[in-house]
Amino acid sequence: MTLPKPEQPWRPAPETLSLAIVLTYLVAAAGVWSGLWGTEWAAISGELHQPPSAQHWLGTNRLGQDVLQRLLAGAATAFEVGVVVAVSTVVIGASIGGVAGFFAHGLIDGVATWLIGTIDAVPFYLFVAAVAVALRDWPGAMHLAMILSFWTLTARLVRTETMRLRHREFILAARAGGLNTFRILLRHIMPNLAPLLLVQSSLVFVAAVKAEVVLSFLGIGLQDSISWGIMIAEASQEILAGHYGNFLAASLALFGLVLSINRLTDRLQERIDPRTHASAHRKLP
Amino acid sequence: MKAGERSSRFLARRLFSAVPLLLGVTLISFTLTVHFGPDPAWEQLGRNPTPEQIQQVRHTMGQDRPFPLRYAGYLVNLARLDLGHSYASGEPVLDILLRTVPVSLLLVAPGFLLGIVLALVLALAAAWRPHGHLDRFCDLASATGMSLSLVIIVIALQAVFGVWLDWFPVRGWRLDGPVDYLEHAAVPTMALIAANMGYNLRFFRAVFRDVLADPPVRTARAYGFRARRIATGYVLRAAAPPILTRVMVAIPLIVISGSLIIESHFGIPGVGLVTWNAVMSGDQPVLMAVVSFSSILFVLALTATDLLTGLLDPRSRSA
Amino acid sequence: MSCIRLAALCLAMSAMAGCQQPDPGADQSEKVYRHAIDGAPSSLDPAHADNVYAATLVKNLFDTLYRYKYLERPYELTPNLAEGFPEVSEDGLVYRIRLRDDARFADDPAFPDARGRPVTAQDVVYSMKRHFMDETRSRGAWLWRDRIAGLEDGVEITDPEQPVSGLQAVDERTIRIELTEAFPQFTHTLAMALSAIVPREAVEHYGQEFGVRPVGSGPFVLERFDQSLAVLEPNPHFDRGTIQLDEEGYDADRHAGYGLAAINGKPYPLLDRLEIHFITEPTARWSSFESSRGVDVVMVPPEMADRVLETRQPLSLQPSIRERYHSLTGLEAGFVFHGFNMANPAIGYNDDPQRERRNRELRCAMRDAFDWSAKNKAFYHGLGRVFAGVIPPLLDSHDPQVAENSIAHRPERAKERLQAAVWQGESLPRLTYGLEASVQQRQMFEQFRAWMQAVGFPPGHFQPRPFASFGEYARAIGQRELDIFLLGWTLAYPDAQYALQLFYGPNAAPGANSMNYANPEFDRLYERAASMRAGPDRTRLYRRLNRMVIDDCVIIGSLARTRLHLWKRHVRMLPDREMVGGFFLRFVDVSDDRP
Repeated sequence: MTLPKPEQPWRPAPETLSLAIVLTYLVAAAGVWSGLWGTEWAAISGELHQPPSAQHWLGTNRLGQDVLQRLLAGAATAFEVGVVVAVSTVVIGASIGGVAGFFAHGLIDGVATWLIGTIDAVPFYLFVAAVAVALRDWPGAMHLAMILSFWTLTARLVRTETMRLRHREFILAARAGGLNTFRILLRHIMPNLAPLLLVQSSLVFVAAVKAEVVLSFLGIGLQDSISWGIMIAEASQEILAGHYGNFLAASLALFGLVLSINRLTDRLQERIDPRTHASAHRKLP
Repeated sequence: MKAGERSSRFLARRLFSAVPLLLGVTLISFTLTVHFGPDPAWEQLGRNPTPEQIQQVRHTMGQDRPFPLRYAGYLVNLARLDLGHSYASGEPVLDILLRTVPVSLLLVAPGFLLGIVLALVLALAAAWRPHGHLDRFCDLASATGMSLSLVIIVIALQAVFGVWLDWFPVRGWRLDGPVDYLEHAAVPTMALIAANMGYNLRFFRAVFRDVLADPPVRTARAYGFRARRIATGYVLRAAAPPILTRVMVAIPLIVISGSLIIESHFGIPGVGLVTWNAVMSGDQPVLMAVVSFSSILFVLALTATDLLTGLLDPRSRSA
Repeated sequence: MSCIRLAALCLAMSAMAGCQQPDPGADQSEKVYRHAIDGAPSSLDPAHADNVYAATLVKNLFDTLYRYKYLERPYELTPNLAEGFPEVSEDGLVYRIRLRDDARFADDPAFPDARGRPVTAQDVVYSMKRHFMDETRSRGAWLWRDRIAGLEDGVEITDPEQPVSGLQAVDERTIRIELTEAFPQFTHTLAMALSAIVPREAVEHYGQEFGVRPVGSGPFVLERFDQSLAVLEPNPHFDRGTIQLDEEGYDADRHAGYGLAAINGKPYPLLDRLEIHFITEPTARWSSFESSRGVDVVMVPPEMADRVLETRQPLSLQPSIRERYHSLTGLEAGFVFHGFNMANPAIGYNDDPQRERRNRELRCAMRDAFDWSAKNKAFYHGLGRVFAGVIPPLLDSHDPQVAENSIAHRPERAKERLQAAVWQGESLPRLTYGLEASVQQRQMFEQFRAWMQAVGFPPGHFQPRPFASFGEYARAIGQRELDIFLLGWTLAYPDAQYALQLFYGPNAAPGANSMNYANPEFDRLYERAASMRAGPDRTRLYRRLNRMVIDDCVIIGSLARTRLHLWKRHVRMLPDREMVGGFFLRFVDVSDDRP
């Protein structure tokens, strides 16, 4: 299970490269949205299990569907699911966690921790399967199910950090200066949590892309659609028989996206954080 | 003395707070299974049922009683620690839990702990020298781990260690002594470590980077203090709150939900499989027992997190 | 920290537990056979054993009055707990069955002094009556309801002592059963796991827990049972003489190379320990089979076909596989098919006769557009047998003459039909396609939709509706929520009546007639055939019924899957998943030259 390593000696990849890769994926997805390619992902266009050829660049799968078409369509799904879920999760988690942490051990905090604890203690599959039944036929059901079950961890992390920060001098100063709570949270606390939130959002992004398969087998999810997760699930059935096409295509696509998003969020984190702003680390012994 | 008294009061308050949590969790879960869960009666029917038989089965299972009555009945039974019998097999739910929870615990604990320790060490070393060789390796490793699916990892490990090298059994579970245990737990442990490494590495590294940028650390490093002293004396402690939160919250999930994929692929009779089957078939007695148990564990885990955080974190102590 | 200490404690505990109970399976001289099946039973109560997983265990832990011969094909009944075949009255209504005098229940704390007692005629009567008691939650009562006198529809047994006119123990060893009308397949139902004999003491002693604490008179007793493994050990009270291979249908030519002759004349069961592994994941099943310590047998998952097969026509295995393993291929006693919901006026019966005719054309067009051979290639190794109608090739009454139009891929014909019946594009109805949520079923849906699209259906007109569990899927079909659905039907006994009941009007959903087919002529003929004895007349009638189903385009089907079994060379057996499934395990032997 080794993945090909880049041949040239490693240099700190400039963030432009990561950005370019992410943009490539976005272009691929945009092409699918505007109907330029990836629309024929369900069509059976050839013999089954064909190796790559001029007609099918990445070969065909078990049914004779074109793997490249499915890969492209999957890129669109990844953004539709991943971005929406990651952004919503982090926003909701940060708001609730922030408020709860700021008023720690008060009533709001009590209600918030109760809610977080309750959702966490309900088994994930039960929760998600129930949302599936309750909101059947509503296209956003899957996103909602994921957001509802993912936001709690972010909220917990933000709450813990906010509790720690709220006694710091600069916050006390801001309070003394008469700033209202909302502004303190937004202006002074959240920027300090930005690194955490960025990493958390990239983690949720990947988790959402991967959870999509599970949910689609529980009866929600993008029923009439294809995703990398589904391709990998298909691959897991045939990989022992020596058919690696689906697996390699979808896993490498996911790998590329994950790697560049990780890089991007790391760079972004360094930029925002005032302490590491000038790449101060490198001056240390 | 005073601190001890304070923390015991704190503990008592936290445990008391378990009551509303337990009520909330059970009410939500109960509502979800009753209103949106599968109808268990249909799992109990033969090949050629009539509408009357369906009614009959629903009646014997108490499915036709009003919701508040059923919920109240459940609470009363829970208070008496009477968990009932599984709809599917008739086995007492308590027996099921006693049989399966230790298995899941033994299965998951080594992989969970080793995975976290390994990820902590790697992440700290990587964050120590940003853009160093190790940092770049971790970068790639975490992206790889995050983009590989657990099922594929399991299949590959089984093929390599079970079939090709023939070092370990492909699947199964036997506890006839430590050798047996290690043999059967080895491959699942590897799978668990591989599956979680990506996420953990990434998260921990980010936390360490953040802490290492703290003024005290930078000053200490500039003065040339020993790395180990800085790491144990400040960095690990300061990084504790988010790491503990992430880790402790995972514990009840692991004990109760187990790991469905690991258990079903490795043929391990743990609680993950039991929970999954109960969700899928609407086996309410089993499901509600699992839910109640996990919410209690949650409260304990969170209490422990808060206590540990307070003890360890040098930043909040200084405040 | 605390976690580590806890883990260390657990480790120590497990080590201690290990020292106290040395494992009997570790003894190398023991005969151990590791069987694998692709699902786990939840309850081992015979009254719940209507699926192949539970039946596999129940047939080994309990006794049925009859069983199928180990090696004879087509499948043939032979007495098991009964002494001989039943004496049936001239009119086919009264059965007298004598029991063997040497059958005993296994020792269990449920009995006085924990000693198993002999099996009596009373036990047989109790085991049948039990199906009609509410608290049993029987899954098999439908087999006998309305057929045994005194168990008419609506009759409920509240007390095991309650007399039933058609179900009597004449003496300790004789049972008299009276039917309301002739039911020639009745003896077959007495070989089903559902009819296995249970002792009342144990049922009452264990109550609900009987499902996990089975007590019977079968060849094995249960040593361990959980959701991944069952371990069975021989029942010391089980003594049925020695194996007479000739009587089991042994044929030196047909069974050459399997080493079966060695078991002739030996008392059975032959194993010291029988492990039944429940492995749902095909990949895990395969890896376990390939490894040295894994299971001894595997039913090759279709995905692995390319690695196992050298050619398909004729069937031959890769040399490396041939060298290492024994193999057997055989058709399943059942089939898979796609059903239409005839109760939906959009595609089935309609008050408007013209629309009803157009609906028939619509269904027939979908059937013409369906490509069985592509489906066979993608999902069934390319080895499945596609046949017209619902009487599978395994049965004598299978009709080789029936026209193959209904299973041919004729997209042009489909388009013609649609055009002739004025169906086109958006005017076509929107249909709900039900599927059990799995990778494979999803792929089947995509394939189905692609074929329908090719003959002019707008792709959006098929709404896939996945269900996470079979129970939910069955509920949706039972409540008529789905328009097209894939179903598998396994014959519980080798008789076409078991397949044709799928279309009998009174069985409409939630019953087995999921299609809600309602044809009075079919019902009349079916009723007539059901009470007829085997013979050319009945076969003719069966085939006529089969053609009615084909002509009305009620289903798209069918395909009988080919089971491809591989097993390790040191095991002497002939595995089977159909009628003999479960029964064959008592004849499995393991040679000493285990690798």
